[in-house]
Amino acid sequence: MSTIVTAPPTQAVRTYPTAASWLEAWSALREHGWETVLLDADEEVNAVLMPPSDDPQRENLVTLRLITQGPHRERRDPPSARDILETLDAEARIAGERADLGWAVSEPPPVRGKGIFVYPLGPVRADVAESMLYRLVVMGDEIVQLNLRHHFKQRHIRQLVLGSTVLEAMPVIARFTTTSNVHHTLALAAAAEAAWGVAPHPDADATRVLLAELERAVSHLGDLAALAVSTGLTVPQMEYLHLKEDLLRVNASLFGHRYLRGVVCLGGVNWTALPSHADPLQATETVAEILKVASGIAAQLERTPSFLDRLHGAGTVPKSAIHQIRPVGPVGRASGRTFDVRQRLGYAGYPADLQVPVLPQADAYARFRVRVAELNQSLAIVLSRLAAWDPTRLRQKTPAETAFAEPPRSPEGLGVVEAPRGLLAYRLVVDASNGRIRHLGVATPSARNWPVVPAAVANGNILQDFPIIDASFALSVAGWDG
Amino acid sequence: MPALRCPWLAGTAKSPLEVCPLYYWNWLRHIVRLPETTNFPTAPDPAVAEMSDPAAIEMAARPSDPFPRRSIALRHLDAGSCNGCESELSLLSSPDYDFTRYGFSFTPSPKHADILVITGVITEAMVPIIHNVFEQMAAPKRVLALGTCAIDGGVFAGAPGVVGSLSGIVPVTVAVAGCPPSPGDILRGLLTIADHRDPLASRKAVSR
Ligand code: SF4
Repeated sequence: MSTIVTAPPTQAVRTYPTAASWLEAWSALREHGWETVLLDADEEVNAVLMPPSDDPQRENLVTLRLITQGPHRERRDPPSARDILETLDAEARIAGERADLGWAVSEPPPVRGKGIFVYPLGPVRADVAESMLYRLVVMGDEIVQLNLRHHFKQRHIRQLVLGSTVLEAMPVIARFTTTSNVHHTLALAAAAEAAWGVAPHPDADATRVLLAELERAVSHLGDLAALAVSTGLTVPQMEYLHLKEDLLRVNASLFGHRYLRGVVCLGGVNWTALPSHADPLQATETVAEILKVASGIAAQLERTPSFLDRLHGAGTVPKSAIHQIRPVGPVGRASGRTFDVRQRLGYAGYPADLQVPVLPQADAYARFRVRVAELNQSLAIVLSRLAAWDPTRLRQKTPAETAFAEPPRSPEGLGVVEAPRGLLAYRLVVDASNGRIRHLGVATPSARNWPVVPAAVANGNILQDFPIIDASFALSVAGWDG
Repeated sequence: MPALRCPWLAGTAKSPLEVCPLYYWNWLRHIVRLPETTNFPTAPDPAVAEMSDPAAIEMAARPSDPFPRRSIALRHLDAGSCNGCESELSLLSSPDYDFTRYGFSFTPSPKHADILVITGVITEAMVPIIHNVFEQMAAPKRVLALGTCAIDGGVFAGAPGVVGSLSGIVPVTVAVAGCPPSPGDILRGLLTIADHRDPLASRKAVSR
């Protein structure tokens, strides 16, 4: 933990009048190792790019904006959607919302033939699971194609918050995906802070890192439990679940909510809501114990052939899908992609020399190992931050949220964070006169990563591998919202 | 490969457990360990009661048909949740809450289910599916509305495509408020369905 970066990421916007010029710039930067995420397609097309760490670029976040409304509006400019967009979901969104661009969406061709069966799974499925329909096309035991239908549970959150103030939107955004609510509120708060020109106090930033890593650890513990039981191992599942419950109780004791909801607020952290009886020392002891036991469980799983045999080579993401979709988060890092927003942007005071675990194999085993390594790393960060954490210091360090009721300094802001499942970005556009939300662009890691799942499943796997592959991705359906 | 330099991947921690060659050997260790399971809500546990909301349980009039008192199978149905309620619900099978000691279990089929546990805001797309799942269940059957979303839509009431309530769709037997309700309160809700009495109601000492 050496260099502490406290400056918020710098931002720039480049505008393009035609789809062809936008696309050219976008592809050129992407080829040069820039990370990109598509945020909007309804009015303008906006993609946010992050230069590689060794790039002499001054800005950390560059928005490429395609504006085709008004005099420059094009009639015919048909680039192939498949080449240009990082996710099939984004592709569908652009094609659906911008018919004028002529980007056709290509559905995967139907598979037909003797001995082909469609095995529909869902939307109500498994013991406790989110609603989603998997259409598994099988030939004998082998899965030859997978189609996903996720529209059942859409809450249309982007539309819901239009016209409300950022303050009113926070409780809604905190319920986008509860297992990553700290990061959702953090990203929206960062976007609002950029628009209003507020920089959180370093003490508030330190608390935000603590919250973020607690959330990552809880999420990974739950995902590892699900992976263990997908191979039929209930003992490690129970052990992981027990650790998860222990950590949730630590959350409740330190911050008053098991999932840490409502602690991150605009401009800092909501110290008035913290319980008065918080005991960081007791929490440190518990977290240290969790770290010890969790490492022990992982070490034992690494010695359990019935577990390893099911994971090795299962659900390998094909090279083409990695290149085209560029998965993020643990899924991306288990596919050889060295990318972590914490490291790339150094937001909220994350050390720029943060070492992130990366493995090249892209199979379920690699995803397991990356998650285990990240869990240990998160718990270690929690331990080091807890040692220096003094909740009483937070008093008065957060500006009154009423500051955000005044007109903003700039009508738009970006917030980009590394959620437990990967890159999460918010683009906030507010009315300059009253600060109400005019537009919200959200790119979640689940929406980004789901499109690699069909490619990884229909890659020489049999039906019996499916639950394991599904658990190894550990994506949320709630996060894939329109 | 720069990746392999990451210290977090390099070695797993050294612990005495590592000498065990297979995961299954772990049970030896567990024999001497005290149970982690809480006695909440049928006996006092301050740690869990702290996270519980005494007013979480709301029950409808007692249904006239008799309901089984043991070995009750639950079918969970997500009708538009944020996955918080799922996270808490799945902890019922953890060693800390272990709902099997009261006879509960999850079932993957509605045809085996006695209680339908519904989470989320009730989206329009899920309404026909809720009907279908409920019809597939054999009587006697009950419905647990889990979480603020399933009760009245919570912050999502009024969102496009959100119905926001189960009224007129399926009869709710017991509703458990909370966002998300703590696992202890979910257990209370389930026991309330089984006994038609909140286990905390007659036992003030347990609540705080
Ligand atoms: S009640 Fe709360 S935790 Fe449960 S689904 Fe709704 S928003 Fe999520």
